[in-house]
Amino acid sequence: MIDFHTHTPAWRSASWLAGAAFDADEFISFMDDSGVDRAVVLSHDGLFDPSSQANDELAAFVARHPQRMIGFGSVSPRRPDAVVETERMMSVLGLRGIKLHPWLQGFSLHEAALDPICETVQAAGGIVVSHDGTPPYSTPAQIAALARRHPELPVVLGHGGLHDCWREALAAVAQTPNLYLCICGTPPYAARYILEHAPQHRVLFGTDAGLSDKPSQDYAAARVREIAGWGITADQRQAMLVDNPQRLLGGR
Amino acid sequence: MIIDGHVRIGQGREVELTADTLLDTMDRLGIDRALVAPDEAAIAYHNRRGNDAVTAAAASSGGRLLAYAVANPWRGRDALDELDRAADRGAVALAVDPVLQGFDLLDGLLVPLLEFAAARHWPVYVRTGTPPTALPMPLALLAGQHPEVRFVMGRSGATDFWIDAGPALRQAPNLVGDTCYAPWDTVLAALAADPEIGANRLMFSTDAPYTVSATELERVTDWPLTQAERLAVLGGTVAALLGLQI
Ligand SMILES: [Zn+2]
Repeated sequence: MIDFHTHTPAWRSASWLAGAAFDADEFISFMDDSGVDRAVVLSHDGLFDPSSQANDELAAFVARHPQRMIGFGSVSPRRPDAVVETERMMSVLGLRGIKLHPWLQGFSLHEAALDPICETVQAAGGIVVSHDGTPPYSTPAQIAALARRHPELPVVLGHGGLHDCWREALAAVAQTPNLYLCICGTPPYAARYILEHAPQHRVLFGTDAGLSDKPSQDYAAARVREIAGWGITADQRQAMLVDNPQRLLGGR
Repeated sequence: MIIDGHVRIGQGREVELTADTLLDTMDRLGIDRALVAPDEAAIAYHNRRGNDAVTAAAASSGGRLLAYAVANPWRGRDALDELDRAADRGAVALAVDPVLQGFDLLDGLLVPLLEFAAARHWPVYVRTGTPPTALPMPLALLAGQHPEVRFVMGRSGATDFWIDAGPALRQAPNLVGDTCYAPWDTVLAALAADPEIGANRLMFSTDAPYTVSATELERVTDWPLTQAERLAVLGGTVAALLGLQI
C-alpha cells in the first residue's frame, strides 16, 4: 500500500505537533510494521517556515530510501524566489510535488502568486497536495478553485475535508476532474461514505505519520489498522491504498 | 469501570446505531456503561422523539445506558418543557450541538437550558469543531459565564483546533475534554501532563457511530498512563460529572 500523507520529523521550527525525532531507517520500520510499501513524505519544518533549507533536508531524508519515500517540498508563495525554489525542488532535489498549508502558511488559494508555482510543478510532472478541512483558508472548494485554474495539474485534498468539510470535499471532487481526495484524519463514517460516492479512482489514503511523540508513530499505525473497521469493500480498499496512488504517482 | 461518555443512537444522515448494536459492541469491548444522545434529526428538530428513544433505551438497559436529553434552544419555553419531560423519564445530562441546532454558543439562546441543567446538576455536552461551529475557546467563555455548570468539550476541537483544547481547559476549570479522534501520542498526552489540566479533566468517548469503537478504546488503552490516570479517563471523570458511584 501507499501512504499518501506523511511527514519528516520537525528538525527546527515546529512549536506545535513537533513530535519525536526519528531517522529515515526508523521511519522505514514504521512503514514495514504497518504494511506501507511507499510513502509520500511531506515537509514538516516547511509547513511552519517554508525555506530552501527545509527542502534540502527533506530531500536528504527521502534520499536514504528513494524506492520507498517520495518527497514533496514547500515554498512561501509570495516570496520573490518561490518559483525558482519550486523549480529547484522539482529538478535538482528530485522532489515530486509541493505541499501547501494555506492556513498555517498564511495565504489564500485564490492568490495569483500560486499560479506560476502550479505551472512549474505541472511542467515537472508533479502533484500539489494541500491541507484542507479548515476554514477560513483551507476549505475544499477553495482548493478545487485552484485545481480548476490548472486543469492538467493533479491537486490532492490532503485530509478529505476532515470533520466538518468532508461533504464539501466530496462535492468538489465530483465536479473537478483533476482533484483527488486523501482520506487522512477524516472520520471513519465520512471515509465510508466518501468511498461509496466519490469517483472511485480519485480517493487516496494517508496516515499523517511523523507527528507522533514516539518514533514508532503509534497513531499512524492505529489509523492503518482502523481501516479494517470502516466497513468498506475489498475493491474500495484496493483502489484507495494501491491502485489509485500508484496510478497518480505513475512515473513520478 | 469503563464508561463511554458520548454516543448517538438512531438514524443519522450517513450513520445509524441501535441500542442493541451498541450494547453488543460494549459487551465485546468490555465497556460497562455509555451515555447516549439521540440522532441528528432528533437533536435538530424531533427533540421529543429523540428523548423518548434514549430514555426508553436507558430504562431497558439494566443501568448500562444513561440518557442525554436534547432540546433545540430556539424553542424557548417549549425546550424547557421538553427537558422537564426527559428528566422525568430519567435523562441525566444535556447534549447540545450548535451546528445541528443552528445557534451561537454566546448568543444567549442556551442560557435558560443551562440554568435548567444547573438546577438538575446535569453536565452539558457541547459538540465542538471547526469555524463557524462551536470552537473550544467560545465554549470556554460560555463556561466562564456559567461557573455552576460542568461542560464537556465534545471532540475536543478535532482536528485543527486541538491546539485550542489546552488553552480552553486551562481557562475554564468547569470544562472537561473528551478523547474521541485524538491521538494520545500527539494530543492527549500533552493535556494529561499539563499541571493545569491532567487526566481527570479528560473523558473517554467513542463518539459512535461516527468512529470505529474498538479503535477509540484501543487508543486510550495503548496510552501509557498510571493506573489512577487511566481509571480517571476511562470512567472516573465522567462518573464525577454525573455524581455516579463507581
Ligand atoms: Zn499533514
